[in-house]
Amino acid sequence: MKHLSLIILIFSPLLVSGLLFSPFFKNNEVRIRRFSKGFAGLHLIYTLLFLVFFNPLADGISYYKEVTFFGSSWIQPLGVKFAFGMDGISLVMVLLTSVIILMALIASKSNIKVKHKFYYSLIFLLQTAILGVFCARDMFLFFMFWELELIPMYFLIGQWGDPKAKASAMKFVLYTFFGSLFMLLGILLLHFYNFAIYGNVTADFANISISSPDFPMPMQLLISILLLIGFAVKMPIVPFHTWLPDAHVDAPTPVSMILASVLLKMGAFGIIRFNMQLLPEAFKLIVPVLVVFALINIVYTAFIAYSQTDLKKLIAYSSISNMGIVLLGLCSLNLIGFSGAVFQMLAHGLISAGLFMVVGIIYLRTKTRDISELGGLGEVMPRLMGFGIILTLASVGLPLLMGFVGEFLVFLGSFNSDIDSYVPIKFYTMAALLILILSACYMLRFLHRTFFSTLLEKWKSLKDITIHEFVVLSVISLFVVFFGMFPMSILDIVQPVLTNILQALQL
Amino acid sequence: MEFLHNIINIMLPEMAIILFIFVQIIMSMFLDIKFYKIAKGLTLLAIILATGLCTKVQIDPLYFAFKDSIISDNYTIFFKCLILISSFLILFLTKRTIATRRENAFQFNALILTAILGSLTLVSANDFLTMFIAMEVLGFAMFFLLAFEKGYKSKEATYKYILMSAVASAVFLFGVSYLYGITGSVNFSVIYEYFLEHTPTLLYSMATIFIVCGLMFKLGVMPFANWILDVYEGASTSVVAFLSVVPKLAMFGILARLLVFALSYSFELTFVLVSVSVVTAIWANCLAVRQKNIKRLLACSSSANAAYVLFAASLVSVFNLSTVLFYLVAYMFMNIGVFAAVIILESSEFSNKLYEFKNFAYTNPIFTLCFATCILGLAGFPITAGFISKLYLFSAIARSGIVFLPFLIVLMITIVISVYYYLRVVKLMFEKSDVVESKVIPHKTSSAIVILYCCAVITILLGIFPSKVIELCQLMAYNI
Repeated sequence: MKHLSLIILIFSPLLVSGLLFSPFFKNNEVRIRRFSKGFAGLHLIYTLLFLVFFNPLADGISYYKEVTFFGSSWIQPLGVKFAFGMDGISLVMVLLTSVIILMALIASKSNIKVKHKFYYSLIFLLQTAILGVFCARDMFLFFMFWELELIPMYFLIGQWGDPKAKASAMKFVLYTFFGSLFMLLGILLLHFYNFAIYGNVTADFANISISSPDFPMPMQLLISILLLIGFAVKMPIVPFHTWLPDAHVDAPTPVSMILASVLLKMGAFGIIRFNMQLLPEAFKLIVPVLVVFALINIVYTAFIAYSQTDLKKLIAYSSISNMGIVLLGLCSLNLIGFSGAVFQMLAHGLISAGLFMVVGIIYLRTKTRDISELGGLGEVMPRLMGFGIILTLASVGLPLLMGFVGEFLVFLGSFNSDIDSYVPIKFYTMAALLILILSACYMLRFLHRTFFSTLLEKWKSLKDITIHEFVVLSVISLFVVFFGMFPMSILDIVQPVLTNILQALQL
Repeated sequence: MEFLHNIINIMLPEMAIILFIFVQIIMSMFLDIKFYKIAKGLTLLAIILATGLCTKVQIDPLYFAFKDSIISDNYTIFFKCLILISSFLILFLTKRTIATRRENAFQFNALILTAILGSLTLVSANDFLTMFIAMEVLGFAMFFLLAFEKGYKSKEATYKYILMSAVASAVFLFGVSYLYGITGSVNFSVIYEYFLEHTPTLLYSMATIFIVCGLMFKLGVMPFANWILDVYEGASTSVVAFLSVVPKLAMFGILARLLVFALSYSFELTFVLVSVSVVTAIWANCLAVRQKNIKRLLACSSSANAAYVLFAASLVSVFNLSTVLFYLVAYMFMNIGVFAAVIILESSEFSNKLYEFKNFAYTNPIFTLCFATCILGLAGFPITAGFISKLYLFSAIARSGIVFLPFLIVLMITIVISVYYYLRVVKLMFEKSDVVESKVIPHKTSSAIVILYCCAVITILLGIFPSKVIELCQLMAYNI
């Protein structure tokens, strides 16, 4: 365990990214692709070692590592450390990232036709940024990686996407930048008030203890709201969600997969890290309002998803709806709800990646995503239909599949929650339960219109999935089924952390 | 005797520069046109000599010279070094400017040295008279430098600059005369001590606002910023690079000292400065969105950056001052890098239109990478100096009081706008287009390329290892 280094885990993709970009690496498509996949596979194995040696019951942070520069911490005058560590939630998210990146790289073969060197190096840069966000133990470091992720994402969406993609990529960056500046303001205020009250200049997550009576409540609330705006844009929570459908629709399929499955989780992860762990008192005050947003998120976007004719948009809106479920779980303030939220993060990460892959394959073959032009594809693509059915049903929440566990836990948790809300949270939960019907409506409609009904003449010559696509879909489906049957394998890892958070909230 | 003593103690860098100004002028009279290359060598020699002599200057304990009109301490020497280093870098970019007018090479270099002399004196000024003279020395040199380029555009730009400069000087002197009327002195220390005993009146606030208005002109801040677009477009690019860095460093150097000492009693002034900087940030960033010429875009960018720094500088505290210093250091390198890239483009027969940037990433990958690094640094993306400096600057503003939070939020929203136009430049370079002819950058502009690479590397290094430089800035700020 001592020999596992988070620094290697986080920065080895960066090195590979530099290597791929440098002129020393030959511009040979096959070689670049194989090398990238090989490295991502090795990286996944290395990540699994972290899982093997992880002790969820150990107090605090595992694998903690601080890097010093010339004997002082990273930005000494602001007390900023270059420190990384893992807790249960980070570990789950890091695993998800490594798996999805590998899957996206495998899926890239049929989707990416130009500028291979640049593409693969950007993917690895993105991986470093995401891993950095999940493992950072310092607020400013967290923020740095949070921003760093924008640059590769901007190019990945803009350069390899549809003709409209450049505008969408810009929209994505501007929205996120807008949110993150509020977040930065929150972080700066948190940093300053921690200094003003306790007199130590630090930005370390562990040393920021704000839940003291010295800290004025209005200021806590202000900081909490500022931070929340940043995370709300990323997650996304409804008034800030309009970047997401555009970015998803115009991004190439592998990038959509990463975007939906990993990047959206950063928002929820930020809420757990900052709002819940650092500002529990303020979070308790915000929850009654936040739960309304969660409800709007779930139901409103589900209705929008139902009215979509573009397949990718449909999946994109269902993603927002699913993130609403995560938010509802976080608002429940009990262990069941929290576990449900984290589990739903993972579940949605895998399922949405799979669904985007399915849609991407259809788009690649037919050059259309319009639901009314498709139909009966199951006849010519039976294997794709098989995977499509598994993933769709998982998304709807069929028992024994992953989606069910997350949704069930969240709704159970929020139904039993005892937060002080203007309207009892039981009613919110009941209203949110509409999603079970709505998601069935739009997802089954998607399934019916694309794979069943009558096959059009022009689609008769379509080919079924290739071996690459088969690998991606089967791995994701396997995970979905496995964790659906054995959810405790995940919950055992995250529950100790969530119990700690809950104790802080109930002070 | 005291006069000589003063000069030997603290004025040696300036003396070296003056010596070389005369050498340049004499050379221009006697040397043939084919020796034009000597001029740049002499200027570089002067700058190196002056930088070396900076180590001989007495700074600890601080030293007042010429009846307290000049001060020398850590802070002034820090700014002098910055000015000299940035001029040194910019001199390598002047090749193309001189190539069009070789017969005037010596005069051009003499003017550059004069501007450096003005900047050096300006940061060490300790009374308004010295400050005014230094500003005018700097200003007059800049008039001729701006008009150096052939063509009517540079003349038009110069004319605008002269008119605005004259107005600004008048406003500045107006403020100073009021302050002199109140306190009976033009010396910063005397004015500072006078108000320790007397309560500042409204007249004092008016006077300070007038004085700062005079300075705003040189910084390109809103009410006096109309010149900036045309001047940046019209004048020769290397001169613009000089204009955007050296006078700005000197101006912020003296402005920060003024705000800490002579003008520190006026709360009205703080609010005026904060509002002005926010308005400038909105104006400059919104204007930049529609620019199609890289030089005009950089003009807006430089105005916006001046606004951010002004915001932090106006909320006086030593911590704020240290963030201002670090921001200026980071900005200096990123800005010179971007201008080096623009000059390389110009000498490769590109016009300054943004759409010509297409295909760059595929024809000149390393150049694009460095250029993009500098641009992304200006936009404030991580692992560049721009990210750390913005973070540090905002951390200072955020702790200056809850009153300024709304202003800060507006400022941050304008930064989102700025991300748009910076990213657009980068995006265009990575775009593939068959319409635009793809050109490869020739090797004849090697010195500018070296400067670009250096600036890009320093931008990254400052972004990864900022700690020591920030500590240096704090040391300078705490010793003011």
